[in-house]
Amino acid sequence: MTTRRQLDPAEIAVIGHALHSVAVEMGAALRRTAFSPNIKERRDYSSAVFSSAGDLIAMGDDMPVHLGSMPMSVAAVLADLRLESGDVALLNDPYRGGTHLPDITMVAPVFLRGRKEAAFYVANRAHHADVGGMYPGSMGPCREIAQEGIRIPPVKLMRSGKMDMQLLATILANVRTPREREGDLTAQLGACRIGATRMLELVERFSLARLTAGINALISGSESLVQNVLASLPAGEWSAGDVLDDDGVIPSPINIRVKISIDPKRRRAVVDFAGSDPQVPGSINAVYAITWSAVFYVFRCLLPPDAIATAGLMRPIKVLAPEGSIVNARPPAAVAGGNVETSQRIVDTLMRALAPALPGRIPAASSGTMNNLTIGGIDPRSRLPYTYYETIAGGHGASPQSDGASGHHAHMTNSLNTPVEALEYAYPFRMIRYAIRHDSGGAGKHRGGNGLIREVELLGDAQVTLLADRRSTAPWGLAGGGAGKTGNTSITVNGDEQELPGKCTRELKAGTSIRIESPSGGAWGKDKV
Amino acid sequence: MLAPVISRLIIAIDTGGTFTDCVYRSRGRVEVLKLPSTPDDPSRAILEAISQIFASNPAEQVEVRHGTTVATNALLERKGARVAFVTTAGFEDTLAIARQSRPNLYDWNQHRPAPITDLCFGISERVTADGSVLLAPTESDLDHLRRKIRDSKAKSIAVSLLFAFANPAHEQAVAKALSPLGLPISLSHQILPEFREYERGSTIALNAYLAPRMQTYIRSLEIGLAKRKATISIMQSSGGILSAASVAQEPVRTILSGPAGGVIGALSVARAAGIDRILTFDMGGTSTDVAMLDAAREPATTSEGQIEGLPVSIPMLDIHTAGAGGGSLAWIDAAGALQAGPQSAGADPGPACYGRGEHAAVTDANLILGRLHPDHFLGGAMRLDPSRARNALSAIGGNGFASLEHLAEGIVRVANARMESALRRVSVERGFDPRVFTLLAFGGAGPLHACALAHALGIRRVLIPSAPGALSALGILDADLRREFSRTVMLAPGSSTVAEVFRALESEARSVFASESARVILKRSADLRYHGQGYELRIDWSANAVARFHELHAQSYGYSDPARPIEIVTLRVQAIVRRSKQAKKQGAPSGTLWVAQLHRAMGGKRNKIDSDIALLSSHRIFENGRWRKARLYNRARLVAGSCIIGPTVITELSATTYLPSGWSASVDPFSNLILTPQGAARR
Repeated sequence: MTTRRQLDPAEIAVIGHALHSVAVEMGAALRRTAFSPNIKERRDYSSAVFSSAGDLIAMGDDMPVHLGSMPMSVAAVLADLRLESGDVALLNDPYRGGTHLPDITMVAPVFLRGRKEAAFYVANRAHHADVGGMYPGSMGPCREIAQEGIRIPPVKLMRSGKMDMQLLATILANVRTPREREGDLTAQLGACRIGATRMLELVERFSLARLTAGINALISGSESLVQNVLASLPAGEWSAGDVLDDDGVIPSPINIRVKISIDPKRRRAVVDFAGSDPQVPGSINAVYAITWSAVFYVFRCLLPPDAIATAGLMRPIKVLAPEGSIVNARPPAAVAGGNVETSQRIVDTLMRALAPALPGRIPAASSGTMNNLTIGGIDPRSRLPYTYYETIAGGHGASPQSDGASGHHAHMTNSLNTPVEALEYAYPFRMIRYAIRHDSGGAGKHRGGNGLIREVELLGDAQVTLLADRRSTAPWGLAGGGAGKTGNTSITVNGDEQELPGKCTRELKAGTSIRIESPSGGAWGKDKV
Repeated sequence: MLAPVISRLIIAIDTGGTFTDCVYRSRGRVEVLKLPSTPDDPSRAILEAISQIFASNPAEQVEVRHGTTVATNALLERKGARVAFVTTAGFEDTLAIARQSRPNLYDWNQHRPAPITDLCFGISERVTADGSVLLAPTESDLDHLRRKIRDSKAKSIAVSLLFAFANPAHEQAVAKALSPLGLPISLSHQILPEFREYERGSTIALNAYLAPRMQTYIRSLEIGLAKRKATISIMQSSGGILSAASVAQEPVRTILSGPAGGVIGALSVARAAGIDRILTFDMGGTSTDVAMLDAAREPATTSEGQIEGLPVSIPMLDIHTAGAGGGSLAWIDAAGALQAGPQSAGADPGPACYGRGEHAAVTDANLILGRLHPDHFLGGAMRLDPSRARNALSAIGGNGFASLEHLAEGIVRVANARMESALRRVSVERGFDPRVFTLLAFGGAGPLHACALAHALGIRRVLIPSAPGALSALGILDADLRREFSRTVMLAPGSSTVAEVFRALESEARSVFASESARVILKRSADLRYHGQGYELRIDWSANAVARFHELHAQSYGYSDPARPIEIVTLRVQAIVRRSKQAKKQGAPSGTLWVAQLHRAMGGKRNKIDSDIALLSSHRIFENGRWRKARLYNRARLVAGSCIIGPTVITELSATTYLPSGWSASVDPFSNLILTPQGAARR
């Protein structure tokens, strides 16, 4: 038997890449079979593979905001359910393993023949274009989570290979576009099946013992990678604060504060959000999983680009967030925007804190919002309801090395745009303009990246919801660099233009056009002039 | 005495950064000719080669089949034309915005690759998804556009309007208005009539970027060949060849022209030898191309390919390129580390030992190490100058090395590391263990480095085909003529329009291939999806295409749903003119094959084979820090069943194979060299 022997580094690398390919292939299957343009064109999904203990062992190169928080979904499923062979669990409850309601996560166990315990878990998460609630697209300005849509704790959608039709019917009865939801859920199930099949093939190829040995080596490898980075950082405590414009209800800024304590000797760090504001009535509260994801993202950026991400990465880092605060909300707080807006501001705050500790590495603030635009109504062409969701990129903050990039998504998201031609096939819209917002980046030695302008005309009456930030506070510059321009939104009805606040919802008539200008990046360094 | 005139001569020519390889069939045999490339005007070497071949093989008609790097190099060196990109007004930044995503999730200091042009123009017009006209361009707008483009000094024009594939009228109007400028015009509804405006726009802009160069190049080939009755066709990235006239209009189809020939050549070698799983390793003078292939299947092409980070939605073989080759220059970087490449000595001046260059390249290091022999390079046709190589290496200033030989060994090791990571990209990073593959090494330098790379990757079998330096050319010689015609339609499967569009595509295919004497095979296929999905599965068109779709969907993605309506997104017609079977059968090139055949005819007494008849001389090789006694063999005289033990150098006309200590080589019945680490066979 050769199974007991130590794996050589080449085998460990092959196993790492093979596991990564499983996650990537699951994501590809989901993208290629989903029905929401949101998933298929914009790639607002993620996929990952977990060990029998629920430790993350591989993830796709998808949405950073999902990836850090996926392990919590798996943990919630394992705590609540006993998964048997052929079962698939589903959840979206932000207070039990989720992030915000539109993100539906599926977790499937992988059983080897003749074994009682699952050998692995595969999971994927997709942002559905509507999960019910008060507003089409389920991203509206709600005041509590019960208004935001259907809330699903960890439950079994599949039992021994059979779909729970009653559960499915209940879910579909609570959403606006049931046929599309059913298609997307089926696509997620298909992706789980592909992931499970590939994992069984890996066991066949490597043997369970060698695969497990490889996984253990990968996890401890990522742990020591982070420890080495922490050992190379200066000792000390680094604090900073940043603000969100408002919560869409009360017109006053919301503070996020952080203190990062780095202990290079013991190769550990503590990230403490004490002092951040309490949770708010509006829908921008972040659950702990989001905050944890944002910390994970920032530290991941300090590692070499090809580092394999596993559960080991976060072991040396402790994240403290006061309960009931904007960064660790408790029920019944509304949370739709925590995932998309507050997550970005948490990253800004963390980077502001690290800037003096890591001079020469930290860039100025990027656009700091995902500019979430949600539109819902009845498509006049088919007379069927539709919901559309999109995020709009902005400018990157300039770095000590170069200008910021224009029209790039930053930090916690990397979703693609919906091609104009795909959009007009699918929705009763006409795109008027899609352009770089020239000369909007912060001025300085290195300029901030420019934002974007996206203007769309409605071809039918619709409910339009905007969830965006950096409308009153601009993305900051660093080292003397100027701030980027704030974002703004306007609508034009019969030639009359009026401005909209960052977080709002409106019933608009056919013929109305909506123009969004996304914020630009801050500059780095003083201008020579 | 004059050679007898033959009726039709087919010559395949693969232009590399350093050498131009030609293969042709003459009197039942495949012959190889290798000349230095002429990068300032690649057609010079080609015309010279054809003259040389003609001198001994006069023919009434010549068919030149060509693998070219004109498009690849223009793109890699960003030396294409200044392109005016015309699109619907309001969307002028389409190329700059791309898909708004960043290439790397976890890098704070990154930009997408710059678009191929920043000279973008909008024209007020609009067509909707169903092809109806919302706003037609006015004459005065078109006049204004023409003036702006004329003043912009653009040298080529790309036009990609929204939904032009649904109704090409406005692109045609733009083309008409701009034609007085006399510039090449690339139109999206002709080159890629498929939806997704960024990917289509990028492809069309790249086409325009390459068009003037490719057209000038093809014209100079045509002029040079005017006195011979020659037809010219060119290898495409998809592995099929296409007439030069079509390529002049659509050069974006040839970005991987040369490497595609290598893949097709490698496939036929692997199939003949009965090997399925191969990693191809095609190392030339300036770059190395690698691919992972299952020889039991047709090579996979992708329409979601990228070159230098820019999407190219034209079918391409799945090939990965690394910027390291025999001509890669060695240098010491600011941190004091030894580097090899990506700068290359190219064909001119070439490595120092070729006699003109002053800078040390990987080839110079191989010569110093005894892995190349100064008198037996290119079959002795070109003498290498060891003293120039030594001078060049001394000039690098590698103070940390015990000797020049140690430095040379370091250079080879650094170059190998770059190529190793390319091979890992296509195997390990896709979750495949390279150890179960055969490394099929070719290109002028592949056989020199193959064993070291196999060792690094744990590969236990290396195959060196006959005439490895000409395998790409051989693949081009044997490739089918091929082109795909497609159109995005968005129809239900029952629609009568389906048959109509297929017929239109077929008549387009027939007219493009009208000049071909051989039969044109037309294959219909369609991209299907469930209504509302964003990606399609390609299905061969037949009466039960829909049933096949459900099946393939279940197989590929884990489920199918026969109750859901299906949508036909794109219809495709693949036009193929097959190379005749007989031409393909003639198999392995140059002297080696007939030696093997002769040997078999004599009864093939395998156990008595004496490889000594192939021994040229004793030799010295520097490996692992010391000089070792070695032997030098002539591959042309090795016969099937011969067995050799390393350290050895095996020379032949088109390449040199280095067999390190601990490796042995045998010749298989197809004249391939099979290299294995000693002891591996017994495991």
